[in-house]
Amino acid sequence: MISEQRVKLMTRLAAYESGEGKKNASIGSYFRGDYISLQLMKSIVSATIAFVLVAVLFVMYDSEAFMQGLYEIDLMEYAKQILFYYIGFVGLYSLISYVIYSFRYRKAKRRLKVYFNNLRRLQVLYQRERKDKTQ
Amino acid sequence: MTGLLVLREQLKKICGKYEVYLVPIGKFFTALFTFIIINLNLGYMEKVAKFPLAIILALLCSFLPLNFIIFVAAALVLAHVYALSLECTLIVGILFLLMFLLYFRFSPGDTFVVLLTPICCALRIPYVIPLSMGLVGKPTSALSVGCGVGVYYILHYIKGCSSALTTLDADGMASKFKYVIDGLLANKAMFVMMAAFAATIIVVYCVRRMNIDHSWTIAIIVGALTDILILFVGDLMFTTNISLIGTILGSIFAVAFVKGLQFFVFNVDYARTERVQFEDDEYYYYVKAVPKVTISEPKKKVKKVASVKNRPAAEREQTVQKRTSSAVKTEAEKRVSKTGAAEKTSQARKINYTDPLD
Repeated sequence: MISEQRVKLMTRLAAYESGEGKKNASIGSYFRGDYISLQLMKSIVSATIAFVLVAVLFVMYDSEAFMQGLYEIDLMEYAKQILFYYIGFVGLYSLISYVIYSFRYRKAKRRLKVYFNNLRRLQVLYQRERKDKTQ
Repeated sequence: MTGLLVLREQLKKICGKYEVYLVPIGKFFTALFTFIIINLNLGYMEKVAKFPLAIILALLCSFLPLNFIIFVAAALVLAHVYALSLECTLIVGILFLLMFLLYFRFSPGDTFVVLLTPICCALRIPYVIPLSMGLVGKPTSALSVGCGVGVYYILHYIKGCSSALTTLDADGMASKFKYVIDGLLANKAMFVMMAAFAATIIVVYCVRRMNIDHSWTIAIIVGALTDILILFVGDLMFTTNISLIGTILGSIFAVAFVKGLQFFVFNVDYARTERVQFEDDEYYYYVKAVPKVTISEPKKKVKKVASVKNRPAAEREQTVQKRTSSAVKTEAEKRVSKTGAAEKTSQARKINYTDPLD
């Protein structure tokens, strides 16, 4: 016989698995430190590419003045300045990424905990049904 | 009102039943509409601006994830801008890349808003977006809407200066870059619009989550007023040339539109609000439960009328019996109604119900 409670639980589990569950399962397969460091690595790569793109835009904006000034400026000082901006930009972006991904990891773990609890409940329901049948 | 509620329930039922077909159809029309708008506004590359190609691309998008529409639309924009000038393509491409790299890594679900915002701007109903996103989105949607506004103004600017760009051909690449970037950075209307939309989304979001009755309606009105106020102050401070009457009329339309949205998304009955209070070992709970306005669809009764001859013998006999009993009943009722006595009616009915059994 169909157990209404079991069907409800299974529907909820299936809905979670097909939607948010996929993403959360992949997050849950990592340790917290591994997940956040992997995402931070990605963020640093993204931020570096973005920084290069902005720098390209900046150079293209005033290329003539830039080329003329290139022979007059202290290159080491200029490189230090660029490095300072780069570290500042990547640092800020990484900090934001850290906060977002820590929050996301915690949320995914919480949801997965609920999911596994529901799975356990389903298992109990199955066991109870089997026992009823044998009696 | 009841009719509208019934209509809503029917729409929900239809959407649930035919979801498999409706989602791809929705994606197809969204994609087609987007591509047509891009082709109409930036139709610089004639090979790409053809209608059959738009249909083929829209068909492709209808079977792929929603975010694919954004990538196709971005590619289409870049193709058109490339036909106009290489410098513009580089600038637009870099700006698109920056958006995808820095922001949409965190919220890929919000990319659709970046598509909807320029579409609504092109349709002259931009004020619908911040109000809607404040109601159904999150505060982070402010960034997505800001990106969408940016995309619209960049494309609008490029469209506006297309003739100037062709005359600058002789001056070389550097002057074109400078011209376009200066123009974009000097576009104060864009920044004012971004600030107004971001503030509106945050205000609407905060107000609709407040513990007050009619919070959604209040949020809509407060949001619209915030939007108008910021645009007005922005116009006074930076002379953005945003039409105030247009803003007010657009906001009125947006309020009406979003009220419709509210009807479908959040329709509750504050008159039946229940407030309960209970406690456990650790907390006191003050619960306010506001019931949703729902209505059950009226069921249609289909009465089958078939000729007596075509039915099986047993059923035919039953029908004949029923008809004779009902005929007796109606005859008796008529008689009683003529006398006009209510008591007698009930007695007569009692008698009539016993008649067919006898």
